[in-house]
Amino acid sequence: MTQQQKKWIIIGVIVLAVLFLFSGIKNSYNKMATMDEQITGNWSQVENVYQRRADLIPNLVSTVKGYAAHENQTFTEIVEARAKATSVNINPEKLDAQSLQEFQSAQDGLSSALGRLMVVVENYPDLKANQNFRDLQAQLEGTENRITVERRNFNESVQAYNAFIRMFPKNLYAAVFGFEKRDYFKSLEGSEKAPEVKF
Amino acid sequence: MKKLLLLLIIALFSSTLVSAQTDIFSKPAKEQLVVDQAGVFTEQEIAQLKEKLHQFSKETSTQILIYTTPDLQGYDVGDFAQRLGQSWGIGSKGFDNGIVIVFKPKNSEPGRITIQTGYGIEPLIPDAIANQIIENEMIPEFKNGNIYNGFNKAIDVCISLTKGEFTAANYESQIKKSENIGGAVFILIIFLITVFSLIGKSRAGRHYNAGTKSNLPLWAALFMLGSGSHRGSGFGDFSSGSGSFGGFGGGSFGGGGASGSW
Repeated sequence: MTQQQKKWIIIGVIVLAVLFLFSGIKNSYNKMATMDEQITGNWSQVENVYQRRADLIPNLVSTVKGYAAHENQTFTEIVEARAKATSVNINPEKLDAQSLQEFQSAQDGLSSALGRLMVVVENYPDLKANQNFRDLQAQLEGTENRITVERRNFNESVQAYNAFIRMFPKNLYAAVFGFEKRDYFKSLEGSEKAPEVKF
Repeated sequence: MKKLLLLLIIALFSSTLVSAQTDIFSKPAKEQLVVDQAGVFTEQEIAQLKEKLHQFSKETSTQILIYTTPDLQGYDVGDFAQRLGQSWGIGSKGFDNGIVIVFKPKNSEPGRITIQTGYGIEPLIPDAIANQIIENEMIPEFKNGNIYNGFNKAIDVCISLTKGEFTAANYESQIKKSENIGGAVFILIIFLITVFSLIGKSRAGRHYNAGTKSNLPLWAALFMLGSGSHRGSGFGDFSSGSGSFGGFGGGSFGGGGASGSW
């Protein structure tokens, strides 16, 4: 083997090694970026389903009002809770534990106001038999299920991402590229399951 | 020694059995659209339902899964059906046109029924409609003990509501668009390596007449590596065989639909 040939082999090996290293880092960087985007995407789904619930409320309130006009306090409470829940806007790029907590507590306020409305509805058998009301009830129930599903999807994507960036050797350079551990959308005690919407 | 080996095999086997039992939502070996765990249908009824659902899946790519179970394992019926549909992948990927109907017969506890709609079905069968199907078509029949009739009526309504929206033809044209181009990049890299090595060889050849092949095995091996990495996607085949079922398509579920009890 001549000196010239040796030189080419060494250069070839170095080029290949660099290429492999580069493509390895590139692949895991791209995977991290994709997973990060996935979290953002799943978060917007979470917001969508909460928005969907908020959108149902005016219709629900007006239907209940038709049968239970004098339950004013309950109506005021629910309208206020809805306004509060829809006013909490958080930046999907900065989903830290604190902003998630704010979002959660506003939505919980609306959940409990809805719960009180349901107790009121119990006293009006005619309302419970009304087809329009039954449709709304089914929509609300479906929406609570959607909330459970999208929250779970969000938390699962956060978990997959957190596990991914902590794996060796990605843990050495994930932070260099700005990929930090993400926070979960924690639920309060007992609210992992969709609340029963029974009238 | 033999006994020990036998014991070991039994231990291994039973451990896999246990792990298979714990995950009720993992995909079954045989993919079909009627699963009667609770044993509420006759053989003939199962055959009729299968015929109808498999045919509908073949024509439209929309998949309706009927699943009966004596025990919901502590899940709410809607939650159970959503997890089932999501992990089995009912409906086709991209269209998410799957419907999952889960039934738990009435025993000491009330009977439970749910219709869960995939993301793509939600606009066609809104929650309120799903609820009306349950209340008007299914529960009255269930109360009279006519489980099959309730299901048959309900799937007829579902079929008529979703018919025409999805067709197997426009489903196929959709998956063709989304084929990956990742393989092309790999081929380009190999091409470049080949070119470089050839340049190296010709330069070496200029000074030394003996043909050097020392670079060849490297890129040849790489090429073989690359050719194995390009594979087709694993979607269910909707066009093959009359009456046969091509498998679940990978659809997603977001919790839409309605549930009822009696």
